[in-house]
Amino acid sequence: MIEIREGGIASTVQDLGRTGHYHIGMPPSGAMDEYAHTVANYLVGNDGDAATVEMTYQGITATFDDDAVIAITGADMSPELNGDPIGTWETVAVDAGDELDVQFATDGARAYLAVAGGVDVPEVMGSRSTYTLVGIGGHEGRGLEAGDELPIGDPANGSADLVGTRLPAEYVPDYADEDTVRIVVGLTSYRLTDEARETLCSAEWTVSAEADRVGYRLEGPDLEFEERDQPFGAGTDPSNVVDLGYPIGSIQVPQQPIVLMQDAVTGGGYATVGTVISADRGLLAQRQTHKTVSFESVDVEEAIDARRRRSERLAEIRSVIDG
Amino acid sequence: MANERIKPVDLPEPRYEYGADDHVFVELAEAMSFTANFKAMAITQQVAERDIEGVVENCPANASYMLRIDPEVIHPDDLIAELRELEAELDLEEYEWETRLIDVPVLFQDPWTHETLMEFRDRHQDADSTDLEYSARINGYDSVEAFLDAFVGAPHMVTMVGFVPGLPWCFQMVPRSEQLEVPKYVEPRTDTPSRAVGFGGAFSVIYPVQGAGGYQLYGRTPIEVLDVDQSLPDFGDSMVFPNPGDILNYRRIDRETYDEIREQVEAGTYEYTYERVRFSPEEFFESPHEYNERLTEVIE
Amino acid sequence: MSQTTTVNSPMPGVFYRRSDPEEAPFVEPGDSVEAGDTIGLVEVMKNFHEIEADQAGTVGEFHVEDESEIEADQAIVEIEVE
Repeated sequence: MIEIREGGIASTVQDLGRTGHYHIGMPPSGAMDEYAHTVANYLVGNDGDAATVEMTYQGITATFDDDAVIAITGADMSPELNGDPIGTWETVAVDAGDELDVQFATDGARAYLAVAGGVDVPEVMGSRSTYTLVGIGGHEGRGLEAGDELPIGDPANGSADLVGTRLPAEYVPDYADEDTVRIVVGLTSYRLTDEARETLCSAEWTVSAEADRVGYRLEGPDLEFEERDQPFGAGTDPSNVVDLGYPIGSIQVPQQPIVLMQDAVTGGGYATVGTVISADRGLLAQRQTHKTVSFESVDVEEAIDARRRRSERLAEIRSVIDG
Repeated sequence: MANERIKPVDLPEPRYEYGADDHVFVELAEAMSFTANFKAMAITQQVAERDIEGVVENCPANASYMLRIDPEVIHPDDLIAELRELEAELDLEEYEWETRLIDVPVLFQDPWTHETLMEFRDRHQDADSTDLEYSARINGYDSVEAFLDAFVGAPHMVTMVGFVPGLPWCFQMVPRSEQLEVPKYVEPRTDTPSRAVGFGGAFSVIYPVQGAGGYQLYGRTPIEVLDVDQSLPDFGDSMVFPNPGDILNYRRIDRETYDEIREQVEAGTYEYTYERVRFSPEEFFESPHEYNERLTEVIE
Repeated sequence: MSQTTTVNSPMPGVFYRRSDPEEAPFVEPGDSVEAGDTIGLVEVMKNFHEIEADQAGTVGEFHVEDESEIEADQAIVEIEVE
C-alpha cells in the first residue's frame, strides 16, 4: 500500500490506456510519455502495461506500509527518500515506513513512479488508466489527494534483485533538447492555404499554460484557411468541417493549433491538419508550458520507422535490465 | 412534399489520409449527406466483421471514418488497399443493417436549459429571443410550436458518437429540403446542463455531462446517455447507450412526465423503450416519411 | 543585520498576485510575512499552485508582474529576512 501525503497538482494512475471504445467517445487515456512509463515498469520487473503514477510538474509525497521496489523515470523531479536524494531511471529499494518525496520538475513535465507489482487499482473497461472528465479508472477516477491509499499488486519473482539497476545513459532522454516533434501533414490539411501549411512546419510554437492531458494548445502565428462556400452541415466558420473523428496526436486548428493528447476529445467540427507521430507524442508531453516546439514534416514511412525503432529500443532495454 | 424521395448523392473519390503512423482517416465527402454517412457506417461495419488484424479502433463519423491501427501489425497502405476494395464492392442499395429504434422523451423549453441560455445571451446571434425562437425564425417557421413539430416530426439517426463519451450526433431522417439548419453560438458557452438537447449545423445532440457547449439549446431529457457506474439496467454491457447507426425518436413530454421518468432513472429502475429494427437505406430513400412511420410504429 | 532571500516559482505557468482580479494582492512590498504565507499563485493546466514565503521577513521587490508568464525556477520576489 502506498499512502499519499501530498498529491501534487495533477498526479494520476495510468497504464497504457483503454482501447476499443473510441467510437463511443472514450479516449484511450494512459501514460502521456509511454517510453518513460514503460522503462519505469521494466526497472521494477513489471510488464510495460502495469499501472504507474504519472506526476505533472509537481511530484507526490507518499509513505509505504511495506517493503517495496520502485523506479522513477521521466521528468527530473529530484526525488528523495527519507530526505536523501535517490536516483532516477534506477531501481530503488524502499523499506516499510519510508517517506518518498518527489519535488518539482526541472527538465521535462511528467515523471512516472513504478512499483514492483504495479499500482493495483481496479480495471475499468480493460484499463487502470484515470480519465478524469467522466471520473473513471485510477483511484476513484480522479487525481491523487492526501489520504488516498493505492494498493500494490504482487511483484514478479526476482524484482528485489533488480535493486541498484541503472538505465544506461544512452537510453535516458534529454528533455531539455527535444524541441522538434515530427508530424505527418494530412487529414483535412487541404483546408489550409499553402502558406499556412508552410507556416505550420516553420513557425516556433509556444506551449500554453492550459496544455494538459486533453490537448496541447500552442501559441504562434494565425493559420489561414482556404476560402470556400461552407458545405452542408459543416458550420459557418472557415475552420469548421463536418464533424469527424480526431486521431490521437492530431493537430486541430480552431485558430491556433491544439495537439490532442491521451484524454482527447474524440471528434468534432474543427479542421485537423496533421498528426504528431506516435514515437514523438511522449516528447511533446514532456515540453513544459512556455517552452517552444517546432513541427518537422515527415512521411508515413519515417513515422513507422521511428515507432519500430522505439519498440526495438524498449526491447533492448528490457534485455539489458533483465541481464 | 410528403412523398418526396431522397436522392442518393454522388460522392467524390474518398480521401485516404494518414493520421501519422497509427491512424487512417477517410473523408467520404466534405458535405453531410445520408449517402456519405451510410457509406461510413457500412464500411466500418464490414471492417468490424472482417476482424482485420492490427485494427484497434473503428470509428464511423458523420461523413468520414477513422481507424486506429498498430502499424507494426498492419501497414497503413495495406489497410488502405483493403478499404478501397471494400469501397468498390459496396452497393449501398443492397446494404441493410440491424439497428435500434429508441424512444427519447424530451421536455422542451425546460427551466434548466432556459436559465443557461438566458445567462449566455451575449454569446448568441440574437440576444433578444430564445434559442428556439431564433431557430424557428431562421428556418421559416412562424412559431416555436411549428418548429418543434418539425423537430420531433421525424426520427434522428445517430451518425456519430463522440467528443466526450456518449454524446450522440444525430441527423434528422428527412429529405434535404426539410432539413433544419442553425449556426452554433457565436462564442461557445462555458456551461450546459447535463442531458440538454441541442442543435447545431444540421445535427441534434444530447449532452451527456455538464460542460462547455456551442449548440442551440431546446430542451432536456430525463434519461441518461452515459452511466459511468453502469447501474441502470440498459448499461450492463457499456457505460454508453447510443451507438452509431441507432435511431432516436424524440418525444415531447410535459413536466409531470419528466419528473416521473427522472424519478425512475434516479432509482436505477428506468429502462429504455427501444426495439431492434432492420434498416434499409434503399427503402428509406424511396419514401422517407412512410418508412419512418413504419419504423416508429414499433415503439408506439 | 538583514539578508535577502529570493522566492522562485517551482513550476511554469501564469503568475497571479491576487486570488481574484477584484481582490487586493496577497502581499505588497513592505508587508511582513510569516513562513508559509501565500505570496502568489501559479496557474498551469487550469490548476492553481500557491507560492509561499519560505521564511519570515519583509516583502521586497517583485521580479514579475501580475498575470505574467513565468518559467520554472524564475525569481518571483525578494524577502528581507530579519
